Amino acid sequence: MSRPVLIRREQALRGGQPLSFAIGLVVALTIGIVLLLGAGHDPVAVYERMFVAALGDPDSWSVTLNRAVPLGLAGLAVAIAGSMGLWNIGAEGQILAGAMMAAGVARIGEGWPGPVLVTAILVGGVVGGGLWALGPAVARSRIGVNEILTTLMLNEVALRLTQWLIHGPWKDPDSFNFPLAPMIPDHGRLPALFGRAHVGVIVALVVIVLFAVAVNRTAWGFELRVAGSSGATARYAGISLERKTAAVLVMAGGVAGLAGGIELAGTADRLTEGISNGFGYAGIIVAALALMRPSGVAAVAVLFGAVQIGGQSIQTMGVSSSVSTILQALILFGAIGAGVLSRYQVRMVPGDPDDPGGDGVQVGGTT
Amino acid sequence: MTIQRRLFGLLAVVLTLGMVASACGSDDGADTKAAFIYVGPVGDAGWTYAHDQGRVAAAAETGVETAYVEAVPEGTADFGNHARDFIDQGYNVIIGTSFGYMDDMLALADEYPDVVFEHVSGFKQNDTNFGNTFGRMYEPRYLTGMVAGSATESNLLGYVAAFPIPEVIRGINAFTLGVREVNPDAQVEVIWTSTWFDPAVEGDSAQALLDKGADVIAMHQDSTAAGEKAEAAGARWVSYNSDMSAFAPNAFLTAPVWDWGPRYVEIIEAAKAGTYKPGAYWGSMADGVVDIADIAADVDAGVKSAVADKKAAIIAGNFHVFSGPINDQDGYLVVAAGETMDDGSMLGMDFFVEGVIGSTG
Repeated sequence: MSRPVLIRREQALRGGQPLSFAIGLVVALTIGIVLLLGAGHDPVAVYERMFVAALGDPDSWSVTLNRAVPLGLAGLAVAIAGSMGLWNIGAEGQILAGAMMAAGVARIGEGWPGPVLVTAILVGGVVGGGLWALGPAVARSRIGVNEILTTLMLNEVALRLTQWLIHGPWKDPDSFNFPLAPMIPDHGRLPALFGRAHVGVIVALVVIVLFAVAVNRTAWGFELRVAGSSGATARYAGISLERKTAAVLVMAGGVAGLAGGIELAGTADRLTEGISNGFGYAGIIVAALALMRPSGVAAVAVLFGAVQIGGQSIQTMGVSSSVSTILQALILFGAIGAGVLSRYQVRMVPGDPDDPGGDGVQVGGTT
Repeated sequence: MTIQRRLFGLLAVVLTLGMVASACGSDDGADTKAAFIYVGPVGDAGWTYAHDQGRVAAAAETGVETAYVEAVPEGTADFGNHARDFIDQGYNVIIGTSFGYMDDMLALADEYPDVVFEHVSGFKQNDTNFGNTFGRMYEPRYLTGMVAGSATESNLLGYVAAFPIPEVIRGINAFTLGVREVNPDAQVEVIWTSTWFDPAVEGDSAQALLDKGADVIAMHQDSTAAGEKAEAAGARWVSYNSDMSAFAPNAFLTAPVWDWGPRYVEIIEAAKAGTYKPGAYWGSMADGVVDIADIAADVDAGVKSAVADKKAAIIAGNFHVFSGPINDQDGYLVVAAGETMDDGSMLGMDFFVEGVIGSTG
């Protein structure tokens, strides 16, 4: 008796990524056509609208890139930790913490000149996010507390803290008792880049490139990856896991916090409870689709952003938000998920399909 | 080379003509199109559902093309993206139905002076193309309080409420005043959920109040979860936003409800005629924006007629919900006998009246 198993390729299939990307996209769009027809829409018009709204002209690109910024930074925050085999599920809370700290800086620095204030707001975001990750970082490195749980639970704490600030001490006195923080000063906002894009696009790209280089091309990054694939090997090689674990988690928090600062000064203009907008959770998907490699995060984030912006746009044609969401998920997983699958091959092996202990079964594994 | 250049020139001419033609087309007043941007899903049976019913009614009455997007979060770039999308497609009336859209709408109104923006609900406006709309929901809240106060046997009523902002506090106070008009011994206990729409949290909060002995649950929430808990416990329920009797047929007593249709017709007609004037519109039961839903069949006819009389008095202007004497929850007189709270004080209401258990903080 034989059965099919997935085996990880020793080497990526030559040209496999673009090919599977294309195949996945076609499959996803085909399923999408069925979905749209079922919901009573013209698939061609819907797809056209999606494309035009996300990538049709420079203005669309600017909106898509703005959206890719928090997605990419959140994805990076997950991927940095992931390079070392750590799971940072707390980007959502770290974004909020960054936004809170950045908003605090904006309150203090109202009288500062523009460039100083903008820089301080972004640095505030990094510090806020980093501090938010400090607890899980220390707990993990010193006494081995699972960072998945601590980072995840702190998301809720960050949300409540944000709500408390908006409903309490930071409530705008001119807002009729509505829970609304005041807007940050005009000169604290991120300068425009082109269209509606702000300079956060450049900041995010630089940060992503820096981390990609650091992880892939430096001794520090090599140690990180060794530690990620085998803690015992790392220890044997004399790599200090404790400090590295703590440093990596705090850095991840800082990167997510930067997204909070950028959202504050770039799009939201004030602290709101919706400012993190699910980017932290979407970042987990971004990182997973980028195979936990910081170098892959930017491209995935732009595609993710384009799908989100395009997907939202088709709602204006009467497509319901649920159909739009399903369509977005289909395209993401079709296009990028297929890329992941191209790293595996299907092989028939002898063995009993009901016997889970059969040899040669290799699904998953660390990168 | 030259052929290419000629083709290019021809293309440019065609494109230019096309643009001129479409620009001329948009001068025609007949192509008014209204877009609605909602914070929740239209299927919530609550706040957003009520607005969408208003949209459908306004579309039918004005013949104007309408469209909507749903579940658009506040405090993100999403609102602006959707609004610009609509404007690009020729929509020239944008209606946003959540408080958090306010400053986005103000900025967009400045950027697109030819587009009418109407906000539900906030407190900002400009002089030309951005106004706000809301309703005096406290009027029907008071009436539903009368029904609830007659229905309670334990004299403890529960109130599942979203956020301690003036709108919600005003509703709780109006409800409590109505309850105590017919039942001076009854008290209303409030639980804050810190969410407008979260069926799990809303249901848990209602359950906590039921466990404490409340036998009527009122709410300022957008889902039907509280009603389902009341139904299961054999208690009664005052829903909100729309008649939700289908979700808890035995528990349902009545509800304060929105009817946005007439107001949306007004805005769209004004935009079409070019006579739109922004303002702070606060519509009453007399205007038809707010009302009380049908009262459950098993409620005593005497209660129904008392409510009908009070409704008539409110509409005629003979009764005001917040007329004194009114004590706050600590027993201090806040509105003296013979006085009536003005709109400014009502819009900033930050205290509970006597009979409410809970804190406004």
